[in-house]
Amino acid sequence: MNKTQKSAWFGLVATLAFLLLSLFLFIEIAILKKMLLPMNLLGATLLFGLGVASVIFICKKQSPIEVETDERDKLIQTRAIVVSFISVGLLLALTCLILRFVIGISGTITVWEFTLINFFVFYVALLVYSVAVLIQYGRGGGDGKG
Amino acid sequence: MARGEVRNNIRRLRFENGEMTQQQLADKAGVTRQTIIAIEASKYAPSLTLAFKIAKAFDVPIGEVFQYQQDSL
Repeated sequence: MNKTQKSAWFGLVATLAFLLLSLFLFIEIAILKKMLLPMNLLGATLLFGLGVASVIFICKKQSPIEVETDERDKLIQTRAIVVSFISVGLLLALTCLILRFVIGISGTITVWEFTLINFFVFYVALLVYSVAVLIQYGRGGGDGKG
Repeated sequence: MARGEVRNNIRRLRFENGEMTQQQLADKAGVTRQTIIAIEASKYAPSLTLAFKIAKAFDVPIGEVFQYQQDSL
C-alpha cells in the first residue's frame, strides 16, 4: 500500500469516526441531556491513539528508496479532487434548497448551525475523495499521459 | 471503431533479469510498487516517459517491453 492509498484509508476511517462521534454527542446532548465525561475522555484518548498510529502507518515506507507519489497517484488524486469538488457543489446546492423550503427565503439560521453545515460538507468532501481514490486503485487508475 | 490495448512483457523480463522483484523494478523506474502491479496486469497504460524508464531498467528497447495491440469492435 502506498502513501496515497494509506491516506485515503485514513480519510475514510477519520470521516466515519467523526460521524460516529457526532452521533454520540447528539445522543448525549439531545436525548440524554447530560455529558458522559468518562465516556468522552475514553473516546478522545482512543481517537488520539488512532491518529498517532495512523500517522506512523502512513509515513512508514515499504522500501527506503520508495517514491511517495508517481504519475498514476497524481492522476488518481486529480480525478478524486474533481469528484470531491462536484460533490461539495451539489451538497451546498442541496443544502440551500432544503433550507429554502424548511425555513423560507427570508428565514435565518444560528451561527452554530451554519458552522455545523460547513463541517458536514467538509467531511463529506473528504469521504468522497477517499472513496474515489480507493475505487480508482481497485480499477487500475486509468491511463498515463505524455 | 478500433480500440487498442497496451500489452507488456514485464513479468517475463523480471524473471529473465535475475527474478527481479516488483519493488526493485519500481525503485529503478522511480514509481510505486502498486503502479508496477497495475502495469503488469494491463490495468494501467504508463506514460511514454515511464515506459522508457521501465525499458531502461531492463536494458532493452521499449518495443520489447510494450506492444500496442489493436482490437476491432
